[in-house]
Amino acid sequence: MSKKILVVDDEPDTTAFLTALLTDNGYAAFSAADGDEAKKLLDHEKPDLVLLDIVMPNKSGVRLYREMKETPELKAIPVLFVSGLADFKIFMQKIRPLPDPQDFVEKPLDEKTVLDAVRRVLAE
Amino acid sequence: MPCYVSVQDKDLRIIETNRRFREEFGQGIGEPCFKVYKHREEKCPVCPVAKTFEDGQSHNSEELVQAPGGKPVWVIVYTCPIRDSQGQVTSVIEMSTDITQVKTLQKKLDDSQRLYRLLFEEVPCYISVQDRDLNIIHANRRFQEDFGDKKGRCYEIYKHRSEPCLVCPVAATFEDGQAHQSEEVVASRSGEPVNVLVHAAPIPNDQGEIAQVMEMSANITEIRRLQEQLTSLGLLVGSISHGIKGLLTGLHGGIYMLKSGAQNQDEARISRGWEMIEVNEARIRSMIHDILYYAKERDLETQSVDAAGLLKQACERLEVRARNLNVPLDCLIDAPVGELEADADALHSALANLLDNSLDACRVDKKKAGHRVTARARGDNEHVFFEIMDNGIGMDQETREKAFSLFFSSKGTEGTGLGLFIANKIVAKHKGAIAIDSTFGQGTQFTVRIPRKKG
Repeated sequence: MSKKILVVDDEPDTTAFLTALLTDNGYAAFSAADGDEAKKLLDHEKPDLVLLDIVMPNKSGVRLYREMKETPELKAIPVLFVSGLADFKIFMQKIRPLPDPQDFVEKPLDEKTVLDAVRRVLAE
Repeated sequence: MPCYVSVQDKDLRIIETNRRFREEFGQGIGEPCFKVYKHREEKCPVCPVAKTFEDGQSHNSEELVQAPGGKPVWVIVYTCPIRDSQGQVTSVIEMSTDITQVKTLQKKLDDSQRLYRLLFEEVPCYISVQDRDLNIIHANRRFQEDFGDKKGRCYEIYKHRSEPCLVCPVAATFEDGQAHQSEEVVASRSGEPVNVLVHAAPIPNDQGEIAQVMEMSANITEIRRLQEQLTSLGLLVGSISHGIKGLLTGLHGGIYMLKSGAQNQDEARISRGWEMIEVNEARIRSMIHDILYYAKERDLETQSVDAAGLLKQACERLEVRARNLNVPLDCLIDAPVGELEADADALHSALANLLDNSLDACRVDKKKAGHRVTARARGDNEHVFFEIMDNGIGMDQETREKAFSLFFSSKGTEGTGLGLFIANKIVAKHKGAIAIDSTFGQGTQFTVRIPRKKG
């Protein structure tokens, strides 16, 4: 069975691109436009991986990440941050004491970067 | 005697001299005083010896005399009558003390005082001398030009405050006798913000106590303005690059969809790909406009805009934040406001920035509950008015005067100091103005007035 990946980004073009790319490569991808929407989806469906944007309206990627880490049944789901932030490491230091996410890819995205990171995190 | 002594008759002829006189001016017996002392051919207009002959009293004066072939000598002259047995003044004794050295020193002192005065007045910075209560005792010309010549305390004149500043370099200098520096934003007599680099230096008295402190402030407004431009450009570059990364991802995604759609002959995907490319290309284009707006004073793109709609949109943009802060945000349109000529995007940003500021004012006010932000639009024949009111923390005079300065923020670590600066700039470009009516502890009302027609 193909692995399920949730793409969370407020930019519809980005979610369209990522879901198409992941579907084309044999994953079952679905998407949410912000942290709130993602949280609702996660209550019903547990993906194998979450691709998470950081700067989003309503509920930011950081808030969703924090909530996931505080929720026992979501805690173990790996998260791959996807953002245009210039210095992700400094950013992560600021939001400590949260556990580090599995990985991070920086926009602008291309197929190889995304697929490599996804495979890395899923240990394929 | 350590002075030149001569005895003179009624015709001011010298009858007797002392050794010192003879050494400097020669014998001189029988010669008139004015000839020996001043190489004149006639009597001096004012002559203490003649006066003594007239009234029988002693007189004194200060004179410049010259020994034959010698240099000029300043003397203090003192005269004394010599009387005969009938009490008549028959001759006068004239004693002259050489004060050339004193005179030279005095002149040097005068010159140096004049020089320091000139420096004090002309130096290109504001100088004031203050006492322990921070009263301004002296202020130089530049200071008086920009801050007025009113007497008062430093913080009253410089910052229009009613109490001393929390951090004061002058007070620190009084405290430890050392020089102190700080950077301040002060307000000129007309309320204009002025950035100054302040240096306070002690002025010790004879006993070495510090009774006064000199405060020198260099006006660095222009430097700061340039620096702010650079910083704001830096911030802009940061936010632009973040935006562009997103748009490039959209563009790249569009290309991917187009390519993969063509391979699989998936028409829906091809058209989605086209759409993504078009949308992102247009957004990059509009982003370039934004960059130019800040970097190059882009001209406004005005069109007829519905004023009420503009305010509603701005309120909608802040709705989520207001909800998060639990502050009700009301948008009131009592009567039709009509249209105005404006750059809708720019003005929308300006109003949103003001609303954002009002929400912040409520957020930081911990002293009362029941906070609320109200936005209202109204108009007359000539103008449209947008009023944004809050019952948040309010501003003191200092904050009011600096409110529109770039990077001035009273919100602690959370403020960037950009919002009101940009709002003010945008409104000014529309030939409008923002008035602030605010009381510390009570709340703030911004009134944005914009002419309906730009021209």
